[in-house]
Amino acid sequence: MLRKVSAVWARCELVLAALCVVLVSGLILTNVVTRSAAMAIYWIDEAAIYVMIWMTFLAASAAIRTRGGASVTLLAEVVPQRAQRWLRLYVDVVVFIFACAMITFFFWWFDPITLSAMGFDTEAFQGATFNFVYAEPTVTLGIKKAWIWLVMGIFALGACLHATSNLYDSIKGQAAPTDRTQEPS
Amino acid sequence: MTALVFLVLLMGGVPIAVVLALTAVWYVSETDNTILLSSFSQQMFSGIENYGLLAIPLFMLTGELMNEGGITKRLINAARVFVGGFRGGLAYINLLANMFMAAIIGSAASQIAVMSRAMVPAMEEEGYRREFAAATTAAGGLLSPIIPPSMLFVIYGVLAQLPIGDMFLAGIIPGLILSAVFFLIIALVGLTQDFPAGRWLSRPDATKALIECLPAVLIPVVIVGGIVFGIATPTESAAVASLVAFAIGILVYRDLKLSRLGAMLVRTAQNASLVIFLVAAANVFGWVIIYEALPQKLVGELTALTRDPFVFLLIVNIVLLVIGMVIDGIAALILVTPILLPIAQSEYNIDPFQFGVVICLNLVLGLLTPPVGAGLYITAAMSEAKPIAIFRALTPFLLASMVVLVLLSFIPELTTALIR
Repeated sequence: MLRKVSAVWARCELVLAALCVVLVSGLILTNVVTRSAAMAIYWIDEAAIYVMIWMTFLAASAAIRTRGGASVTLLAEVVPQRAQRWLRLYVDVVVFIFACAMITFFFWWFDPITLSAMGFDTEAFQGATFNFVYAEPTVTLGIKKAWIWLVMGIFALGACLHATSNLYDSIKGQAAPTDRTQEPS
Repeated sequence: MTALVFLVLLMGGVPIAVVLALTAVWYVSETDNTILLSSFSQQMFSGIENYGLLAIPLFMLTGELMNEGGITKRLINAARVFVGGFRGGLAYINLLANMFMAAIIGSAASQIAVMSRAMVPAMEEEGYRREFAAATTAAGGLLSPIIPPSMLFVIYGVLAQLPIGDMFLAGIIPGLILSAVFFLIIALVGLTQDFPAGRWLSRPDATKALIECLPAVLIPVVIVGGIVFGIATPTESAAVASLVAFAIGILVYRDLKLSRLGAMLVRTAQNASLVIFLVAAANVFGWVIIYEALPQKLVGELTALTRDPFVFLLIVNIVLLVIGMVIDGIAALILVTPILLPIAQSEYNIDPFQFGVVICLNLVLGLLTPPVGAGLYITAAMSEAKPIAIFRALTPFLLASMVVLVLLSFIPELTTALIR
């Protein structure tokens, strides 16, 4: 069940990340056209950067499911198969700790418990905590940056889901999902 | 203790981005700066809030569209027109086609995969030894991160806060030198091995090959021309190039299938994310470098060894060759740039563009050296030759690349001459 949820969620993340690629291309091309027509749209650069960041964290979360990402595989290649399984378990434990840490840090940052205790009054929240996460604006988009920063929470949740699923598989001795192998350099 | 945690995580095969992030967490906790952890996510986010990084997914998309759009065979045919008639013609064609591809793709691993599939069987069929065919193709892949556009240069430019367009310009002369040296190596190898005779194309066939190739050549013209003449930023050039690649693949060559577009976009997102996520993780790892004052600590050791910039670069080259053998090039670049660049600039007065080209070429050599040479294993998998046999055949190319490295370290003008 956990594995299935992780697979479906990873699929959603990748579809969204792929849409972000289209959006980034579209935004930059629009910028080229409008700039050459002397009608540059001032918010495009900032929007494109944020879309790229969403793409990055969505696909990075999905990469945890497939145990993607550059790593030093020297040890795994020389140890016997039995030790390789232990090594995989070790990596899965470490990635799980990382994912849990990311959730914790996100909660410290957005502090939803204090915010709800303040009746979702962001000004009262700022006054009480000196945490200005809900106050910071984007430079040109006209929205609060907290909406953009939300991707860190989505990333943390997705990473935690995939890391838990992988860890469970490792403990059960099931094979890893491997639907990607490319490595850019 | 932080160094030990870093090494245990790294050598245990944990993804390098996670290694960087967790090492930073450990360091912050150990030094009682836990207040920093509440801004950990924000620090990761802000590390990639950078316009220059937009070029990465766009160049990757262009590469994907060109690969699927039938460019490879057109470029190989065009290369045949120029060098196909020489003895060992197909080896030269391989290298020339790799030069064309390098001006489009920007990722050595992708280029090696594409070119190995296309060139190794063809060379073997004509009578070349499989290992040599694979080695020539893999060596051609080394041109990818040097001839613009280059993924490594984009990342270095972001880390060093240099204009990426100028970084691309810095790579042009070194890329041409490296290509010329590789041509020379093939000629020298040809003296010891009996290369098959080449065959010039007939005039109508040559004309047809060149005309067919023209639309494909538009891509490097858009990318390099846009940057060189200052018409567009590298990011904008990449976006225009991806649109042109899409149009050529669909309308001119008609090899690009819309049904495969989804998979291409997903691959682009996956590959770009791997790189950009590393940059994000490196930003929190920056805490360790800054608070531990690693560059300042290293300065004492290095300046005691030498005050000469050239000797310093040689030492850096030797260290990086070893690092590049065990760590992926992009990850290594992200790790070493914030530590070594300040020393190179402030203590040795080395031009940051020269330093960037030298360390990027150096680290990419690791792609072809065991034990962790992804490029070597990709070539081996595609060509079904043994990695060690390919490595043996690659040795002259690697040695020649090292000579070029020394040359680039000695003569800064080779990298700075074209920069405005």
